[in-house]
Amino acid sequence: MTLIRLQRAAFGYTRRPVVAGVDLEVRAGRFFGIVGPNGAGKTTLFRGILGLLKPLAGSVERSGVVIGYVPQRETLDALYPLTAQEVVEMGAYRRLSGLRAVTRADRDASSAMLVRVGLGEQRAARFSALSGGQRQRALIARALMTKPNVLLLDEPTSGVDRAAQARILALLRELHREGLAILLVSHHLSMVRESVDEVLWVSRGTVRHGSPSELLKPEQLDELFETEAAPEEA
Amino acid sequence: MDISWADRIDLFRFALSAALIAGLVCPLIGVFLLLRRTSFYGIALPQFAAAGVVFGFVLLPWWAQHIGLGDVTLEMALSDTHAVMNYHLAWAALFTFGGLFALVWLGRRGGSEIGRVAAAFAIANAATYFFGRLSPVGKSFVDELLQGEILGVGVHELETIGVLLGGVLVCIFVFHRDLVLVSFDREFALVLGKRVVAFETLLNVLVGVGVAAGTMTLGPTILFGLIVLPPLAARPFASSMNRFLLFSSLLGVLAVVGGVVVSFEWDFPLGASVVAVAALELLPALCVRRN
Repeated sequence: MTLIRLQRAAFGYTRRPVVAGVDLEVRAGRFFGIVGPNGAGKTTLFRGILGLLKPLAGSVERSGVVIGYVPQRETLDALYPLTAQEVVEMGAYRRLSGLRAVTRADRDASSAMLVRVGLGEQRAARFSALSGGQRQRALIARALMTKPNVLLLDEPTSGVDRAAQARILALLRELHREGLAILLVSHHLSMVRESVDEVLWVSRGTVRHGSPSELLKPEQLDELFETEAAPEEA
Repeated sequence: MDISWADRIDLFRFALSAALIAGLVCPLIGVFLLLRRTSFYGIALPQFAAAGVVFGFVLLPWWAQHIGLGDVTLEMALSDTHAVMNYHLAWAALFTFGGLFALVWLGRRGGSEIGRVAAAFAIANAATYFFGRLSPVGKSFVDELLQGEILGVGVHELETIGVLLGGVLVCIFVFHRDLVLVSFDREFALVLGKRVVAFETLLNVLVGVGVAAGTMTLGPTILFGLIVLPPLAARPFASSMNRFLLFSSLLGVLAVVGGVVVSFEWDFPLGASVVAVAALELLPALCVRRN
């Protein structure tokens, strides 16, 4: 089943395309990694798939699909005195508005999500007091609260230690095994190589598709990067 | 002659009730300004409101002659500033919203937030004195507001602040979850399909209404103190967002009650006394941060 389909899509800012001619089909149960050099347009493509940028050309179909979005945790302000549970409960806000309060069922679901991501003990802790890896897992729990068909993650392992990276990856692989489609942006090539089914290589405004073994071979990387700076190898 | 506490409370019941309403609601506005890192709006916007009030006085003779003030004559309007309260409030609101939308619009173009707000404050402050030169009556009225002497608040001002800040309170109570969401993680809110721009506009309107009504009734001194200080005092002790809102509001009310005691016991201006008590509430928060 196709969840998201891009046909000859172009995304950019102030009518200037950053990536163009993108064809992509995100099907149920697939695991995609978006990689490429810094400034190549990974984030622009990601925001286009997410629906935060309208296509400048081509089309994007995602009707009826629930997207679970996991932002980079650095974008969230530590000033907010939110508990981990309050952050996860935000995933239930889609159907809550005005006086409709968070129900006991929502609280139970958010508690279960926190247990699921290994943060059952930290549910009353301040979100800003959690470690980087814990915050990332709480954001994954929040995305899961939306009951998504596809999970979109922006640099989920950026800035966390190796143990936390491994934990996040194990969680993503588990979700993938359960049939959830996943699409992540990362500059950790080794992580992408080990985890994903398909790679979207973004470079110089174009997107190449392929398997990790095909696109992330050392000789292939040399050719793709040419004179561009290589992404950090985790 | 000694006046008993009961007599003082009865005599100044409108002013005290208005201050208590402000103590309850203004810190809630301040919570969102603080979290969105726009607390300095709390300084600049009341100054815009004050400039608007004085500008209204400048225009008052022309307005009375060409548009009219209902049953109120120009002499009555100039001698009793409460007589055309809605007229003054309208000018305060117009200048507040003008300043607010200018700050939001300039904010979207990037640059230094602090620099923008400082410039806005300087301009609004100069405008207050400039208009004050053209209308000495308006200037003396605003000087009274700036001193934080609010005991002259009458029933009309109380009704006005009650309705307007009551509306702000109801909106924050009903929409606080969405307002927190769009402030904390705008992109996640967009992905959830929330009407982010509508909620951001609502928040700006709540800030504008609260500041305009509060400045017109109680003056910038008490208003700025109640917007900024209680949330700063409450934040280190708030273990959740709901508690942050609740503690801020409680500290605002406590500052008003404490300010009334200080003002009545030592004969200080009520507004300044409220702000002084609110400042004392910061001490525990400073100790916690030091630890």
